[in-house]
Amino acid sequence: MTTGEKIIQECRDLIELLPSQALLAARQKHPGLRGLAVFPVYAPPEVIHAAGLMPLGLFGAGGKLETTQADSRFQSFICSIAKSTLELFLCGDLSPENGFEGAVFSSICDVARNLSSVVSRNAPDFYIEYLHLPQNAATEAARDYTRREFHRFRANLAHAIGRPITDEAIAESIKLYNRLRELVSELYEHRRVRPGTIRTADLFAVVMAGTFMMPEDFIPMIEALLAELRTCVPVQRDSVNVVLEGAFCEAPPIDLIDSIESAGCQIMDDDLAIGWRLFSRDVPATGDPVANLADAYLTSSAYTSVRHNNGQPRTKGLLQRVHDSHADAVILASAKFCEPALLDYVLFRRTLDEHDIPHLKIEFEEKMWTFERLRNEIETFTESLLFD
Amino acid sequence: MPTAAPTPTDSRPASDYGGVVHDLSRDVMTSWMNQLQAAARSGSPSAYMMVSGNCVEILRCFDILPVFPEINALQLAIRKKALPYILKAEEIGYASDNCAYVKADIGYTLSEGVGEHGPTPKPSMIVCNFVGCNVYIKWFEHCAEMLDVPLVMIDVPFVRQGEAVQPGDLHYVIAQLQGLIVACEELTGIKFDIDRLREIVGYSARAEEGWSRAKDLCKHHPAPFDAYFDSINMMGPINALRGTKEAADFFNAAVAHYEQMVAEGIGATDEENFRVVFEGPPPYPYYRNFRNLFANWKAVCVQSTYSTVGGTWEFGFRHDPDRPLESIAEQMLVHNLCNRTMQERYRQIQRYVQEWEADALVIHSVKSCRLFSAGQGDMREYFTKELGVPTLMVESDLEDPRYYAEAQMKNRIDAFFESLEYKRLREDAR
Amino acid sequence: MQYAAGVDIGSTQTKAVLMDLSRAIVARTVIPTGAHVIRAGRRALEAIVAEANVRPEEVEYVVGTGYGRYKVEAGDAQVTEISCHARGAQFIFPGTRTVIDMGGQDTKAIKTGPDGNVVDFCMNDKCAAGTGRFLAAAADVVGLTLEEIGEVSLKGTKPIRLTSVCTVFVESDIMNYLAQRKSVEDILAGVHQAIASRTIGLVRRVGVEDEVTFTGGVARNIGMVRALEEKLGTALNVGPDSHFMGALGAALFAVDKLMAASPRTSEIDASPVWSDG
Repeated sequence: MTTGEKIIQECRDLIELLPSQALLAARQKHPGLRGLAVFPVYAPPEVIHAAGLMPLGLFGAGGKLETTQADSRFQSFICSIAKSTLELFLCGDLSPENGFEGAVFSSICDVARNLSSVVSRNAPDFYIEYLHLPQNAATEAARDYTRREFHRFRANLAHAIGRPITDEAIAESIKLYNRLRELVSELYEHRRVRPGTIRTADLFAVVMAGTFMMPEDFIPMIEALLAELRTCVPVQRDSVNVVLEGAFCEAPPIDLIDSIESAGCQIMDDDLAIGWRLFSRDVPATGDPVANLADAYLTSSAYTSVRHNNGQPRTKGLLQRVHDSHADAVILASAKFCEPALLDYVLFRRTLDEHDIPHLKIEFEEKMWTFERLRNEIETFTESLLFD
Repeated sequence: MPTAAPTPTDSRPASDYGGVVHDLSRDVMTSWMNQLQAAARSGSPSAYMMVSGNCVEILRCFDILPVFPEINALQLAIRKKALPYILKAEEIGYASDNCAYVKADIGYTLSEGVGEHGPTPKPSMIVCNFVGCNVYIKWFEHCAEMLDVPLVMIDVPFVRQGEAVQPGDLHYVIAQLQGLIVACEELTGIKFDIDRLREIVGYSARAEEGWSRAKDLCKHHPAPFDAYFDSINMMGPINALRGTKEAADFFNAAVAHYEQMVAEGIGATDEENFRVVFEGPPPYPYYRNFRNLFANWKAVCVQSTYSTVGGTWEFGFRHDPDRPLESIAEQMLVHNLCNRTMQERYRQIQRYVQEWEADALVIHSVKSCRLFSAGQGDMREYFTKELGVPTLMVESDLEDPRYYAEAQMKNRIDAFFESLEYKRLREDAR
Repeated sequence: MQYAAGVDIGSTQTKAVLMDLSRAIVARTVIPTGAHVIRAGRRALEAIVAEANVRPEEVEYVVGTGYGRYKVEAGDAQVTEISCHARGAQFIFPGTRTVIDMGGQDTKAIKTGPDGNVVDFCMNDKCAAGTGRFLAAAADVVGLTLEEIGEVSLKGTKPIRLTSVCTVFVESDIMNYLAQRKSVEDILAGVHQAIASRTIGLVRRVGVEDEVTFTGGVARNIGMVRALEEKLGTALNVGPDSHFMGALGAALFAVDKLMAASPRTSEIDASPVWSDG
C-alpha cells in the first residue's frame, strides 16, 4: 500500500465510526478533547475550534446505527439524517459523558429546525444552538445582523463551556481552516483535471473524514496525499463528465458514489459536504475575526440549496458549476424526502433543459444496501450519452 | 333483541356547520375575491404574500391588493379541485413528497394562467415574508421565476434565544420593511404616509381584539364555536383582510354573536361531550367528512394551534398605531406560531389544555407541511407520557386527497373516543 | 338462555364468536369475507348459531367490529377492533398490558389497562406498511407459502439488510440478494427482522409494558414471534386462536351490554360495563 492509499483507507475507516468513536480517536493526540457537533449545512467551525473543541460533522449515522427510538418521533416521510441524528442523541452516543458539549443546527429547512427543538427537549443537559443564517443579503442591515448572529454563537458557546473564546484563538483557527479549504479545493481540482488519479468515493471519504478530525491533524494528511497524487499519471476513460448536485446535507452512502463512477460517470464537481468548504477565498484573520466569518458567509460563499441569494438564483450557480468544471451532464441526487433538493429539482431541470444539458434525477437514503436499481438507471443514462 | 344502542354510526346526520359567523365571513371574503378578479382584468397593483406572520398592512398603505397563494391552494382543496393541479405540477418535476400546497398553486397558475387571461391577478411583485416555513422561499422563488416578477425578500429570524424580541433581529426586520416600502413607492408612485399606516394598524388591532375575545369565549362550557373547524371563518378575515375596516367590523359582529350564544348557553353542537385541542392543519379535501368523525362523538375543539399560524393574539399581542413598523416587525418575529420552536408550541398546547379545560389533544399530522409535522411523534410522546394528556395522532394531508383513508381515519378516531369514554366511566365510578 | 355474539368483519376473513353470560365461548367460526360484506356477517352469525344449536332470538346482543363493523345487520353496537383486540387479549391472557396486533393491512400497538381497556394505541402509517402483506410479497419471491416462511427464517444465520419495508420494492431487493447467492434462510431472516424493527418502533410509542400479547394473523408466524421477542427482550403471549381476538372482544362487549341491561344477572360479574357512546 502506498502512503496515499493508506491515508484514504484511514479516512474510509474513520467515517465508519460513530461520532463518539471519532472523538475518542482524536483524543489519542489530544487527551481530554471534547467536541461540538455541527449539523449541516453550515456553522463556523473556526469558532468551535477556537473554543478548544473539535467541530464534528454531524451527518446522521448512515447505516451504522439501527433506528429504534427516533422512528417514534419523526414520521415515515421525514429524511433519514433527521432520524438517525436524533437516534444518536437518544442512544447516548452524542452525550456529555461521551465528551460532547452540544450541537449546533441552522435554518436550512423545516425539518432541521424542528429537529433542533426536539433534540433539545430530549437532551436537556446539552448546549443546543440554532443559528438563523440570513436569507436576505441585500441590505446593509444583513451584515449587522449576520455579525450579531455569529457573535451571539460565540458568546453562547463560551458561556456553555465556561471559558472565553478569544479573538486571537479564532484568528488562528481561521488560518488553519483557510489552509484546509485550500487543500481540499486542490484535491477537487486534481480530480477534475487529472482524471483517474483520485476516485470520487475516495475524495468524498477524505473530505468527510476532515469533519471527523481536528484540522491540524487533517492538514498534514492531505498534504501527504496531494504529494503522492501529483506524481500519479492521469488515465483518460471513456466516461461522461458530470456534476453531482443535491447532496449538500444528508450524505449519500459511499457505495452509491462508487456505483455512479463504475456506471461510467466521471464526477467533476459536487456539493457533498459543501458547508465545510463553503468559502471561495481566504477569510481574513486580522481585525474582528467573527465579523470576518460573517462577512465571508454573506459575500464569498458557494451557493447552496438552502439559501436565498437575491438576484443570484442557484440555477445560475449550477450552470456556472457545470461550465467551470467542463461537465457534460448533471446528476441531481437528493436524499429521500429532502424538500429543498426536491423543490430545487424543478427549476434545475427547467434550466438544464433550456441549455440542453442532460440530467438524471436519483434519490438516496441512509439505510440503503442495494444499488442495483440505481446503477441500472445511471448506466442507461451514461449509455444514452456515450452512444448518442 | 334490544334496540340499537346509540353508538356513533355513519347514518347519523352531520350537524349543519354553517351559521351566522360563517355567512358574515363569506360576505367579506367574497368581496375580497371580487376585488382580486377585478384586479386580474384591470392590472391594478397586487402582490403575493404568505399568510403566516405577514405584513399586509404595508401593502394596504399603497392600495396594493394582497394575493395569498396558500389561500388559493386551500380553496382548491376544500372544493375538491386540487388533484388535477397537483398532478400537473408533478408532471413538470415536483416530487410526490413535496408540499401539495405548492403543487396545487403552481399547477393552477400554469394551467389557468394569471392576469387578464386567468382567474387571479398577475402579481406586480412577490413579497416573500419568510416566517418559519422554508418552503415559502422556494415556492416564491419558483413563482418569481415562472411569472418573471421581481421578488422582495423579507427574512425574519426564527425565535431562537428566548421569547423576547432581540434588538438585532428587530432592526434587521424593520430595515427590510423599509426596503419593502421603497419598493411599493416605486411600484405605485404613492408616497409613504405614516399616518395612513397608523390608521391601518389601528384596524388590525381592533380585529385582533375581536379574535382574542372570540377565542376566549371558548373557555365557556359549552364552547360557542369549534375553534378548529369554525376558526377558518375568522382566519380569512384576520390574515387576509387584516388592516381593513371590514375585517374589524366583522370581528365586532362575530364576537357579539358568540357572546349571545354563551349568554344563552348554546354550544357549537347540541351537546358537548368532549373538549379537545387540535394541532396541525385540517384535511381540507375532506373537511366535512373529517369534522363529522368528531361531531359523531360530540367532540368540540376548544383551541387549535393551526388557527394561530397568522398570530397568537389570544395571548395578548396587538399591532400598535403608536409604533406601527415596530409592531409589524414584532408580530412577524415572535407573535405567530410558525416562527416559534416545537417546544414553544408544546407550551402553547399545554396552556390550551389547561386554560380551555380540554379532555384530550388531537394531532392531525399532514405530510405536506413539515413545519407542522416534523417531530409530532415527539409531541405525542411528551403529552401522553410526561403530561398524561390523552393524545390521538392521525395522518393525512391538507391538500392532497390521495392521503386521506376514511376507514382508517374513522377507526382510529372511534377507538380513541371509546377509550376516553371508558376512562370517564372509570372516573365516574370512583 | 341468553347469548351474546361478536362479529369481526375484516378485509379477508369474517370471524364470529358466541358467548353465554358466564363468558364461556359456546361457538365460533371463520369464513372468507368475499365481495359481499353484509352477507359475510350474516353467514358468520348463522354459522355460530347453528354450531351452538341455539335459537336465533336467544342471541340478544351483537357487537360488530373490524372494518365492516357497520355492515353487521344484526349489530346492536359497533366497537373498533382496537378496543376489541385489547379486550380479547386481556381475556385470554389476563396479565396483558401491551398488545401487538399484526394483520394483513396494518399493525397496531395497544397499551391496555387492567380491565382490557385501551389506554393508548398507535398504528402504522401509510408508507411504513411493514405488515402481513409485505411478508406475503416476500414469500412469493422466494417461492414459499406464508405458512412456511417463519420456520425457514429461523435457520438464517446472517440476515440480509433491506433498504425499506416497501412492499413495492421488496421483490426487486430480494431478487437482487438471490442473484448474489444469499440463502433463502438469510433473506427471510432479514425480512422478519426488518418488520420486527418497524414494529418495535411502533410499540415504543405507546411504551412496552409486560406482559406483551401478540395477536392477528401474523402471530401464527413463528419467525415473527421470535424476531419480536429477541428485539423486545421478553417472551410474547401467543395463543393458537389469536385471529379470533377481535370477535372475542366484541362478544365480551356484547355480554357487558346484556349484563347492564338486566339487573338480574349483573351481579354475576362486576367487570366494567362498556358505555353506549
